[in-house]
Amino acid sequence: MACLERASPALKRILLKLYRENKSIEIDHHLYEFGSVEYHIQSSTSDAHYTYLSVSTPLLSQGVILPNGISHYTKQMVKGICPDVVEIMEPAKEGYQITLRLVLSKIPNGKDSMKVIADISAVQAVILSSQLKEMLMNVSSQDTFQGMYKTIKLVYHPREPFFIVRQPQKILAVFPIRFKDKTDVIIATAFFQELMDVGSSEKWAKAPPCCWSPIPPPELRGEPFEDLSTNGGFVSFDISSSHVKGKRLDKTVWSLLNFYAYVKYHVKSTRSFIQRRMRKRLQRLVEVLHKRSMQEEEKEEEEEGNHKVQGCMFMRKRINVSKPKVLKRRYNDLRGKIKRIRSRIKIQGFGRFRRRWLKMPKFSSSMRYTKLD
Amino acid sequence: MCTTIIISNTLRLYLTCIRNTLDAAMCLQNFPCQEVERHNKPEVELKTSSELLLNPVLICRNEAEKCLIETSINSLRISLKVKQADELENILTKKFLRFLSMRAEAFQVLRRKPVQGYDISFLVTNYHCEEMQKHKLIDFIVQFMEASIFPNPIKLHDIDKEISELKMSVNTRGRLVATEFLKQFM
Repeated sequence: MACLERASPALKRILLKLYRENKSIEIDHHLYEFGSVEYHIQSSTSDAHYTYLSVSTPLLSQGVILPNGISHYTKQMVKGICPDVVEIMEPAKEGYQITLRLVLSKIPNGKDSMKVIADISAVQAVILSSQLKEMLMNVSSQDTFQGMYKTIKLVYHPREPFFIVRQPQKILAVFPIRFKDKTDVIIATAFFQELMDVGSSEKWAKAPPCCWSPIPPPELRGEPFEDLSTNGGFVSFDISSSHVKGKRLDKTVWSLLNFYAYVKYHVKSTRSFIQRRMRKRLQRLVEVLHKRSMQEEEKEEEEEGNHKVQGCMFMRKRINVSKPKVLKRRYNDLRGKIKRIRSRIKIQGFGRFRRRWLKMPKFSSSMRYTKLD
Repeated sequence: MCTTIIISNTLRLYLTCIRNTLDAAMCLQNFPCQEVERHNKPEVELKTSSELLLNPVLICRNEAEKCLIETSINSLRISLKVKQADELENILTKKFLRFLSMRAEAFQVLRRKPVQGYDISFLVTNYHCEEMQKHKLIDFIVQFMEASIFPNPIKLHDIDKEISELKMSVNTRGRLVATEFLKQFM
């Protein structure tokens, strides 16, 4: 699952802070996002020119873990963010896939500075997108067998693999949908039906056609059974050459990478919307019941006697308080104050001291008698 | 237009039948338990003595919509089954009714757990009848099914209306989100 926003907001904020401070500051931060992405940002006063950014992220793989980590193509794409500012360190810091050395002083001034910082903050998105782009490029040269193109399974999150099928005229992206909860499945299914409806309209003719089916598409024939067993069906997008031309390639790749995140976010927010609406409904129901009972009470009171003063509820209460009552309340307040002033001062442990040292001797009285058993 | 009239007429008949049955059944009196001394429990729940129970009445509009009215000497249990046309309506109904049942104390006569095979149940005891007005209690229960037919101050208790509105909102949200997703490709 990728994240919906390309740039990491926390990383962006730290980089902005470093850029705006003219003098170097000591920073050593570890940032964690989505449970699996980690950033380590380091800046020290001893090495004032450079800031080091290390990124650890689950890589998009074809079911197997790449031995060398990030490919050369991905590194080139990362370097291409801003070649003057970003430099890739070799080898990367231990535990991270990539370490970048940033020369923040070389960031151009003005509006461009914000754009460069946002681009650097989106380094994880660049890594992911370039991996998918690379796979799509390689598939045409390698995976043909008797004129048929092999289906490639892409795994970013172990539970969320998706399939890319390269065909002569188009690329087919298939997403098997799985949810733990039945409610989620139903909300997601309703969403897919809407997606199909909207996608088939003339207005969205330029968008890739989308199709949802409860059974796997024929292109996935021969794939392992565990990959094809779903409870939410299969969503497939037909991506033609027009969708991957120039700048649209980046958009298409990012949308495909985000599809799971998008669906999950929609399901989650729809659930909360339903809950919110039900709560509001209940409140209104209770309010109506409350109002009704209050109205009834008022009616009863009116029936008992119409001598009460009309007006605001709180005002009515004030008017109802008689003068002797007010005087009595004031007298009680004053008495309380006097009591508080005249009360004995309590000293911790003084009681014990008094019992021991200031004890009055007891005198036996002739009048006193003792009880006989 | 024609269909709407037919539907509302069938619903009117269904609701009138429920209203009349409730009106007849809601003649409850205080009656202590015959088995246990100093116990006063709703007989319709305990069912300790058969002579204190009346024959239950089942009113069906169709297979998906029905109402079971069980009467005893000191209590009355009304169970409703609400129509669920598709899976989305099914989960919305379940969610909404569960939400109401969990907050049953706000409604007094609402049962925390529905009778098996039904979506929501009410339990009216003789104490409720003493505290509240009989016709308003009946109105309240009928309002849970449909409000627009009978003139009443409470117009909010209709489950059908609420669920169809919820379904519409969920679908509209889905359409908007789908549009936003497709915009990304443009």
